[in-house]
Amino acid sequence: MQNADDNENDDNTLGAMLAARGIGRRSLLKFAIAMASSLALPPGVAPLMAANLAKAKRRSVIWLSFQECTGCTETLLRSSSPTIEQLIFDFISLDYQETLMAAAGAAAEKTLRDAIAANKGEYLLAIDGSIPTKDSGVYSLTGGRSNLDMLKEIAADAKAILAIGTCAAYGGIPKAFPNPTGAVGVEDLVSNKPIINIPGCPPVPEVLSGVLAYFISFGKLPDLDERKRPLAYFGATIHDQCYRRAFYDQGKFAHSFDDEGARQGWCLFELGCKGPTTHNACASLKWNNGTSFPIQSGHGCIGCSEPDFWDAGSFYTSLAGGSATGWRNAGVAAAVGIAAGAAAALAARNKSRPDPEDKP
Amino acid sequence: MTNFNFLDDDQLVDALLVEVAGLLSRLIEDGEEGAIDLLGLPLSPFCVAELERRLGRGEISVELDAIGLSKIRETGFPGVWWTQHVDESGRVIARLIETTAIPKILRADVDDMKRGRKLLLASIDVAVKTSRSAA
Repeated sequence: MQNADDNENDDNTLGAMLAARGIGRRSLLKFAIAMASSLALPPGVAPLMAANLAKAKRRSVIWLSFQECTGCTETLLRSSSPTIEQLIFDFISLDYQETLMAAAGAAAEKTLRDAIAANKGEYLLAIDGSIPTKDSGVYSLTGGRSNLDMLKEIAADAKAILAIGTCAAYGGIPKAFPNPTGAVGVEDLVSNKPIINIPGCPPVPEVLSGVLAYFISFGKLPDLDERKRPLAYFGATIHDQCYRRAFYDQGKFAHSFDDEGARQGWCLFELGCKGPTTHNACASLKWNNGTSFPIQSGHGCIGCSEPDFWDAGSFYTSLAGGSATGWRNAGVAAAVGIAAGAAAALAARNKSRPDPEDKP
Repeated sequence: MTNFNFLDDDQLVDALLVEVAGLLSRLIEDGEEGAIDLLGLPLSPFCVAELERRLGRGEISVELDAIGLSKIRETGFPGVWWTQHVDESGRVIARLIETTAIPKILRADVDDMKRGRKLLLASIDVAVKTSRSAA
């Protein structure tokens, strides 16, 4: 196994590489303690995790961007200040990433071929974006090849596949009604490889760090739920982790975004919060270096990490079926703005569902 | 939907202290180290502060400067440590109660020591050469 080789005297180990940059084992142990906490592993696992990381070599990652908006890449790479999770980028060799790499055209294609050949059977394949399947996948091409063909070919020699973001995991917004490109997620097309879904629009960056740290340390994917999501991050709903949960239990709700309940920070359930049906780590890990998350900023969860969230009705209609007084029109207006299309807004307002006949 | 029956803060603190006592017994009797990940528990800021107050302060307090500041303090109960790790952006990334004679992160790693020795010998070599050439 690549991760746990006995590489103590090898200058290519992560431990030696970090030491050369002045990052000692205490830092590595601290990283492992943070990752173990984030992954809900027992704290006693951290020293083993740190020892395995120190002995491991950099893991090749091939990152393919398909039918996507680049939001997933942006959220994972941009940060206002250095965080401990960014150490993970020292642990991987990002051998192909179209948005970031300097090479283009034939040189980029060669880079991809070389990375696959050099790391056959060992590289991690990261995918962001859905895969269009209609008309042989002609709606999204790279170097003249369809995403569909690229996925099938490159997945064949991958050790495991990370489906990053809701589009790669479940088809996401491209799959939303009427799904003109026949978009699907990775697991709809690949069945013979370990797949881990890290959904979210965009996903929480710390989740990717945790999953990568676990994989590099132990050579396998962490425990997953029935939707192939890492249990440590997706085991509970937003609602169950929400600091406003106590108000829900007490029956204290905001009825509009500017009423007394909203000012008091009461539960946003009646304003359409999808926290009770959404599994993600936003409420515990939060965003922007742990600053806040949508509910803390006064807006309900839109359920972006769940399959078909875009077709699941208005963001401003409560899960109980009602809609808060005075906000219905504003909610529709917002949906129109976000979707930039009257069809999507109408679909949301009327709670239309995709026609099964339109599915690929 | 799950219906939670939350303990109040005082009950949570008492429950955690009972767990700490159990871990300390294991350390004393079997030499087995233990830890409680406080960030993994739904504790209010009051609860954390109360827990810290009840555990008190002991004789040792260490500041570790490694990719952010960490504060490691022995509590008023020898063998029970309060550890808080912070990253470079100031975010708390781990908060632990550890039961151990000395937390592992304070011990120097053998590989780090070997690298340190190499650097030390190289610096002595440079100093000797410099003084010889000056003479």
